[in-house]
Amino acid sequence: MMRDSRIRRLPMALSALVALALAVLPLPTALEAFRPDFLVLVVFYWSIESPRAGGLTLAFVSGLALDVIHGVVLGQHALALTLMAGWATHLRLRLRVFSILSQCLTIFALLTGYQFILFWVDGATGNPVTAFGRWLAPVIGALLWPLMTGTLSRTHER
Amino acid sequence: MVAFRNTDASGRTTGLLLRCVLYSLLALGLIIVDKRYDNLGRIRRVLSIVAYPVQIAVASPFEGWDWFRESVTTRDALRADKSKLEAELRVAQFRLQRYEALEAESQRLRALRDNTAGTTDRFVIGNIMDVDLDAFRERVLVDKGAQDGVFVGQAVVDAGGVFGQVARVGQLTAEVILVSDAAHAIPVQVNRNGLRTIAVGTGDLGRLKLPYLPTSADVVAGDLLVTSGLGGGFPAGYPVGTVAEVKRDPAASLADVDVRPAAALNRSRELMFVWLKPQAAAPASAAAANTSGGPALPSPQASSQTSAAVRAAAPAPTPAPAPKSAVPPKAVVPPTPPPPAGANDE
Repeated sequence: MMRDSRIRRLPMALSALVALALAVLPLPTALEAFRPDFLVLVVFYWSIESPRAGGLTLAFVSGLALDVIHGVVLGQHALALTLMAGWATHLRLRLRVFSILSQCLTIFALLTGYQFILFWVDGATGNPVTAFGRWLAPVIGALLWPLMTGTLSRTHER
Repeated sequence: MVAFRNTDASGRTTGLLLRCVLYSLLALGLIIVDKRYDNLGRIRRVLSIVAYPVQIAVASPFEGWDWFRESVTTRDALRADKSKLEAELRVAQFRLQRYEALEAESQRLRALRDNTAGTTDRFVIGNIMDVDLDAFRERVLVDKGAQDGVFVGQAVVDAGGVFGQVARVGQLTAEVILVSDAAHAIPVQVNRNGLRTIAVGTGDLGRLKLPYLPTSADVVAGDLLVTSGLGGGFPAGYPVGTVAEVKRDPAASLADVDVRPAAALNRSRELMFVWLKPQAAAPASAAAANTSGGPALPSPQASSQTSAAVRAAAPAPTPAPAPKSAVPPKAVVPPTPPPPAGANDE
């Protein structure tokens, strides 16, 4: 928190890159619906941990990367991710004193909001995905959150 | 810098809100521009080059493993492969013997009918990259892009039949939307009797549907469906699938037909991008002329789709010059209503 924001930039970019790779890693078709939004979790983590190192910019750029890599309307993931990262930044002081269960529930709400914005843009641009499976990702993402924070905080907090 | 921002707590919150709103507006603007004006192709192409290293990095371990597995296959396996391929080649060559003659004949007949449904000109072979695009859309990424001449809407086939069409083109990669995607439709015809309709994807890799056939339509399980070449996107005569099941509910006006795709949608690695012969761009003018004047309508849906046929023929490059009388009355060309919609990718 008190450290120079520049120190945080490298782990931020690296973790985002790894998460981006995980987002396109080929999975068996049966498991594809269970893929959590890794990059979104990473963005939330940095928005909460060190928002002044550019959490929102990271969110916007990551969103654009997701748009390009998923081949959807440009700006869709960017919009969802920016709004939700903004919300996460707003909640960060409260989130840090939450118990791990409450943290997971909050992250679940954020992920659901993210998914809902994607859903809405999908519908507004004329190719809705109504499969129920898309609402699984927030559940899995929330369950993964403790593991995620543990791993990420180990990378930069010595 | 940090200290400067740190001074005022309320100032920080406003800053957050402001940046959030700014970024959101930017994203919304991008969505609108991309959707409405569709001129972000260049930007997207550049961005796809940036994404390429990530995709390569993800795909390369899998390709490396494939390469390793191939390079340690035993002599026996190779030999078995060889004899199997030889057998396949013999059958293929046997079938090919008559191909040239048949193609020439088909061209002659098509010229007679003044109906040049597209025939293929050349291929480029591309490999599917080991990258997942979207769990809920049937799309794959292929390692050929704008620099190989690939264009949006181009037909893509594999060894079994029609695979899909190009949905987006990057500089080095292209996204192919599969025939089984829920947003994909392709004009087909039953090989046995020439009945035309549209095969629509279901979002399920192993299944297409024919939603626009009346219950009385002559289609049975086992019928081969081939591309009709109408709509201009796909070359004619490529297998799309076989009819798996026909459910006829007497109370419903439309039959429920399931189709098993001919292409190995979940197993293929190599795909072929197909270019149509230039003449294929000529309109199916005969089709329009015939529908308006045909006395007999063997196809049950023909009458209901006449208007659709005229509509579909209207935007063709050169409008049908031949009036009704120019069509010889004895020509037994069946009325050819083009499908109400072409292959549409979202």
